Amino acid sequence: MGSMEEKFDEQLLILYASQTGNAMDAAERLGREAERRGCPSVSVLSIDEFQPIDLPNKEAVIFIVSTTGQGDNPDSMKGFWRFLLQKNLTREWLKGVHYAVFGLGDSSYQKYNFVAKKLDKRLSDLGATAIIERGLGDDQHPSGHEGALDPWMSALWNMLYQKNHKLLPNGPDFVTPDATFLDQPKIQIIYHDVEEGIPPLSSAKELKYLETQVERARSMTPGKFSGNDRPDCFLKMTKNRLLSRPDSGKDVRHFEFDAVSSSIDYEVGGVLEVLPGQSPAALDAFIRRCSLNPESYITVQPRDAENHDFLNPPLSPVKLKSFIELTMDVASASPRRYFFEVMSYFATAEHEKERLQYFASPEGRDDLYQYNQKERRTVLEVLEDFPSVQMPFEWLVQLVPPLKTRAYSISSSHSAHPNQVHLTVSVVSWTTPYKRKRTGLCSAWLASLDPQQRVFIPAWFRKGSLPPPRPSLPLILIGPGTGCAPFHGFVEERALQSKTVSTAPIIFFFGCRSNNDDFLYRDFWLSHSQKNGVLSEDKGGGFYVAFSRDQPQKVYVQHKMREQSMKIWSLLTQGAAVYVAGSANKMPSDVFSVFEEIVSTESGVSREAALRWIRTLEKAGKYHVEAWS
Amino acid sequence: MGTEMEQERLLVVTDQVAVSVSAVFDAVKVVREGVEQIDPLIITQASLDSLLSVESSSIDDVVSLCKSLEFPSDQLLANLSRVLKPGGRILLYLTSQSEVQMANSSLERKLLLAGFLDIQSSGNKSVGVTGKKPSWKIGSSFSIKKTSQVLPKVQVDDDADLIDEDSLLTEEDLKKPQLPPSDCEVGSTRKACKNCTCGRAEAEEKVEKLGITMDQLNNPQSACGNCGLGDAFRCSTCPYKGLPPFKLGEKVTLSGNFLAADI
Repeated sequence: MGSMEEKFDEQLLILYASQTGNAMDAAERLGREAERRGCPSVSVLSIDEFQPIDLPNKEAVIFIVSTTGQGDNPDSMKGFWRFLLQKNLTREWLKGVHYAVFGLGDSSYQKYNFVAKKLDKRLSDLGATAIIERGLGDDQHPSGHEGALDPWMSALWNMLYQKNHKLLPNGPDFVTPDATFLDQPKIQIIYHDVEEGIPPLSSAKELKYLETQVERARSMTPGKFSGNDRPDCFLKMTKNRLLSRPDSGKDVRHFEFDAVSSSIDYEVGGVLEVLPGQSPAALDAFIRRCSLNPESYITVQPRDAENHDFLNPPLSPVKLKSFIELTMDVASASPRRYFFEVMSYFATAEHEKERLQYFASPEGRDDLYQYNQKERRTVLEVLEDFPSVQMPFEWLVQLVPPLKTRAYSISSSHSAHPNQVHLTVSVVSWTTPYKRKRTGLCSAWLASLDPQQRVFIPAWFRKGSLPPPRPSLPLILIGPGTGCAPFHGFVEERALQSKTVSTAPIIFFFGCRSNNDDFLYRDFWLSHSQKNGVLSEDKGGGFYVAFSRDQPQKVYVQHKMREQSMKIWSLLTQGAAVYVAGSANKMPSDVFSVFEEIVSTESGVSREAALRWIRTLEKAGKYHVEAWS
Repeated sequence: MGTEMEQERLLVVTDQVAVSVSAVFDAVKVVREGVEQIDPLIITQASLDSLLSVESSSIDDVVSLCKSLEFPSDQLLANLSRVLKPGGRILLYLTSQSEVQMANSSLERKLLLAGFLDIQSSGNKSVGVTGKKPSWKIGSSFSIKKTSQVLPKVQVDDDADLIDEDSLLTEEDLKKPQLPPSDCEVGSTRKACKNCTCGRAEAEEKVEKLGITMDQLNNPQSACGNCGLGDAFRCSTCPYKGLPPFKLGEKVTLSGNFLAADI
């Protein structure tokens, strides 16, 4: 122990790889708990803010990593992971480094917590020493990942204390009494007297005004919206068409947008991120509840702006109401446990204070989960359930979940529709455990828009997991439900290309509930599968539909695929690429299984050999999956 | 039967007690051209035991003179198939008067079910159906398709300098994880998944109603005192779960929380 203390700083580094914010939340909580136990130096960073080359110099590193549905790393971890996988790193490279891994995953997926498991093994293979066994958080647990996090954290403090007393100078169990201790908010608000901008008179000015507001507001909180402050463009909706049958129980829309602010460019298979609007009624209710003045102008800065590497020039103020509207999710996302903890400090009614403290405690964790996370309680609802709480605006800005963009697969080909972008969106709706009807924020908002109104939508273009194919590449596409969206773009594009160059065939497997209810884009697919179209059998292609509910037994895309076993194999031997897209969590693995079957049957090799061959296809960039839930 | 004749071996079976040589020749003419040279083995009142001494795959042609449509039985037919060489022929010849079409199709079906190929009826006047034993031996193996047993080569832009990350997982890791016991509401049986696609969630929604009486809504009471405070304070079994906060005795407003129906 002695040599280690001389070599390293008494520093605890916490690195998180978060996709939806859960891992970040857990990491921040870990950091707070460490500080409360007197750890002299705690650093909480997103893993992409850390240079892996520095890893051997660290004394104690804690990794909090999420696994996405397909077993992949979060985007922020890809660079770090690539570095770690290098063959030339030796088994001694991380000698002397102490680490612990906590994973956030979902045991209903086959590849449960794969990211944490692989990271744990790799770190140990590289010579690092595990402080404790890896912890695996599970969304399926009654209290979500916190169920595993709490006991894992206690074990961590104990072992950390044993390894190095200086990390926790007051011992592992010492905690500053909760009742008196409240951290300071991390940000400060500055109110301005200056009024900015007279109400704009023309739509061009209106657009410009909106542009500046969006950019300013979203740049003010560094780190929260990295990559998503300045929109790539603004869109105006031109079509809002119902694709599914009314009263079918589904509401699937076809949206068309014109780009109004600047020229756009995207490829088929790409993704559009949209910033949703929030209900004016909800925003007003929030502002009233929090006793705020919507007309005041503010800037938001880190509290210790002088100490930060925050070199940007101070931003011009934004209207408080705009700031909330553009950056704070008040009527959709649920607040986190820490929100309840901070609320308890600002509750003046005794029974509310008690209840909030209970919710924030380990004993109340499960009840909090039932009331809040499972029920998808919104910030506004929580504040209204605890009416005596008056939280300062600084805390609200810090703790209200950030308004997130929503991503959708683009269903148009830019070549076929210049300056336009089309989406295929299913309006999300569900009933909560408490029997309340809820709808998805963005999908419902888009569905409510009237193309006659002038609403400008901030949007970003991203590459998805489906790289655009060359015209000469034969394609096997599987896209049930809204999974057909990117393939709508593929077919539009290839149909256009086929006019000037020779194109390879496409076979497309679509699935839906019923011919009458939700056969999305039926006429489009049928027209391209006739008369030498790109989906036609004459051209070596095909279009096959599985209607799951039109007969007593369920028929899914995988059943249709089996029927076309020879055709699929024939295309695979010609070097076809496979694209799978859709929204069910089991579908991609069911489809993968059918491929194993087909390859094995048609070529005569064993199932294991078929599996390995398909894995090679993945590595060669010939098997792509875009799955969402 | 121990003959070393080069000419093809012919077996004739019949269900009759006795059969004339001319009757045999008439039938044999259907399958053979020169009948003078033949020396058929003739078995009368043929039954399963009759063929015990005949070697498998030793007979070139079988002629069955049938008085009734039931002859030969399926089992005897199978035995006849056994003694036939692969590629050998069989003729089912009806000696009694019978409706030609019907009889032929009945015999055709017999042969078909017994696994013979190339089944043909021999004309309209006489009733006779021929078939051929498949020319592969039972039990031989051969590939149905032309398979190379080699999978097409896939070009991988290899990151040759990275290890294979799948090698970091153990057998244990790869096993499908055990789901923890369902965390659904107390006392409930199997419920629909969060992202249900099979329709169960919708069906459940239809079945379950609010679970609360009009009386409870008009004149709410609370023994514990917490029901009126809102969801944050209610027990998991509270009948007012999901409803807005209320004051005791005052009617509960169902549409109080506009957000529930909002975007």
